[in-house]
Amino acid sequence: MKATLTIAKREFKSYFDSPLAYVVICLGLALLGVFFFFVHGFWQVDRASMTMLFSYAAWGLGTLIVPVITMRLLADEKRTGTLEMLITLPVKDSEVILGKYLGALGLVSVLLLATALYPILMFKWPWHLGPLDTGPVLAGYLGLLLYSAAAVAIGLMISSLTESQVVAFFVTFIVLLVMHKVADIGEFAPGRLGEIARAVSFEANLTNFARGLIDTRNVIYFLSITGLCLVMAFRSLESRKWS
Amino acid sequence: MSTDVMIHASNLTKMFGSLAALDRVSFDVHKGEVVGFLGPNGAGKSTTMRILTCFISPSSGTAKIHGHDVFESPLEVRQKLGYLPQRAPLYGEMSVWEYLRFSADMRQIDMGTFKTRLRKVVEVCGLAQVLGKDIRTLSHGYRQRVGLGQALIHDPPILILDEPTSDLDPNEKAEVINYIREIGKERTVLLSTHNLAEVEAACARAIIVSKGRVVADGTLDDIRAKAGNVRYLVTVDEKNAMTGKAPTATVVRDALAGLAKVQSVSETPSDDKAHAFELAADKESDIRPEIYRLAVEKGWILLELRRDAKTLGDVFRDLTRGESLHARGLADRDDEDEDEDEEEDDTDDEADDDGGDDEEQDDRESDAGDSKSKSGSSDKKKKD
Ligand SMILES: Nc1ncnc2c1ncn2[C@@H]1O[C@H](COP(=O)(O)OP(=O)(O)O)[C@@H](O)[C@H]1O
Ligand SMILES: [Mg+2]
Repeated sequence: MKATLTIAKREFKSYFDSPLAYVVICLGLALLGVFFFFVHGFWQVDRASMTMLFSYAAWGLGTLIVPVITMRLLADEKRTGTLEMLITLPVKDSEVILGKYLGALGLVSVLLLATALYPILMFKWPWHLGPLDTGPVLAGYLGLLLYSAAAVAIGLMISSLTESQVVAFFVTFIVLLVMHKVADIGEFAPGRLGEIARAVSFEANLTNFARGLIDTRNVIYFLSITGLCLVMAFRSLESRKWS
Repeated sequence: MSTDVMIHASNLTKMFGSLAALDRVSFDVHKGEVVGFLGPNGAGKSTTMRILTCFISPSSGTAKIHGHDVFESPLEVRQKLGYLPQRAPLYGEMSVWEYLRFSADMRQIDMGTFKTRLRKVVEVCGLAQVLGKDIRTLSHGYRQRVGLGQALIHDPPILILDEPTSDLDPNEKAEVINYIREIGKERTVLLSTHNLAEVEAACARAIIVSKGRVVADGTLDDIRAKAGNVRYLVTVDEKNAMTGKAPTATVVRDALAGLAKVQSVSETPSDDKAHAFELAADKESDIRPEIYRLAVEKGWILLELRRDAKTLGDVFRDLTRGESLHARGLADRDDEDEDEDEEEDDTDDEADDDGGDDEEQDDRESDAGDSKSKSGSSDKKKKD
């Protein structure tokens, strides 16, 4: 367990050793800000716009930020050989996977926390644009966190399958995009197929959270994706032994 | 298995697809030994070391480190080990201090102990100047030293170092070897390299691998003796003779090869005033008188006549020569058809050598019919 945290800490800190973390955080905040202040109209802010905030945040995270954060996790270590150094320390493969996962999720969480600035600025201080229902906002953030947990796990798994960061980035980007939008495709599909598409889509599973509802089905959905992908990343890391 | 066996490898076999990277590799390393793990590139050194450090698993066979099985207790194995992988892959964005601290953290070493250990490691590996620098800004030599430091931070009883000196310039090499010698005073070290001078400088014992097999294992003296040969260096003046006309290389070769007890003759490079040859013969007898008599009889002017033991390098080349033939696409041909093989070898030599007398030389060799001579000449080309 200690080793897991050491790896997570190193991973998290290493994001800040390159411009990556700063770029990701600034870009994320700037995009959200642009949307918020100019596209949506700052002064019309209300419950509905918070819902919008959450759905846009999920979009941004999924399509750009998570792939950038996860692409190098294992791919780059495999390419440069540092993975050999890491794994031959007294550490279990599972701890390596978990440590890397937590390090990356840590950075995404920091970004999420940073976005909390917007609601705080607008509803608490310095502006008071009306009473803020804390409940729905918290539910929305829980949704985003669960969503990030699943997306980062997917990114980590894909990064474990290749030695190229670029490949890891594009594959993760596409997978997350499809997972996000599969409900829209599903609308055109007949009957059960459409239902399934809605059931597995990120977007569909996020709407309840954005409205302030915490549905266990949605929670389980995100957690199972997380678990499944982490196990697969673990297996992929282990498979080096037998190649 | 006695208790002082620190590294025990038994019948390790590793298949990569249909390629057998290791083929029943067995050896023991005892407490306090510094063992050179020698072999040409692709011989299976890194693969063996990766198995010993539980990075990969063997296809069959077992290995034990400090009595712990690599299958059953990989964490215990790794705790006993300091490992420096080939090319010392380190996190470039970390400073040296951060990296060492990270390694110590991963090994659950508390801050107090870390500070004491760090002082020793910094001293042994000469890291004082670079502790605060980012690893990516360091030279190769310093990176290797950081890698060594990282392998020593938990004061392990066993060290496994994969080519710690490759890619270094001669000064850096010498330094790293010095550090290893220092380290090896109180530890068991398995050190892979393809550089013989290093083995001679740092190790008392060597294990030589070739094509995934152990081809020699013993003290350096044993290995030298194993070849059972001595070498004669003979140089004959090319321009002048005491009687008659100056001899050609072929004539001299023929005559030398015709002497009793000579196992092989190969020409060595020399300036254009002389023919130089290297003869192999068994070490029981001394054929210098015969060589001298031959020279007198033919009227050659003998410029040099020396008898010495084979160097470790010669033995290494003899033992691993299959590999170089293999690399030239000539594997396993020599047993089927001696002459054809010689021709193949010959054309190859012409291709990558500046030619000259070599054609004749190789023809002679097939006459001598001794495999040793081939290795001598083909490896001489390899160095070019
Ligand atoms: N991961 C791998 N996949 C396929 N072949 C490999 C792999 N690793 C090593 N090999 C092959 O195994 C042989 C031994 O390699 P290695 O142990 O690295 O040799 P050395 O370290 O002695 O130079 C080589 O032929 C190499 O190409
Ligand atoms: Mg190697």
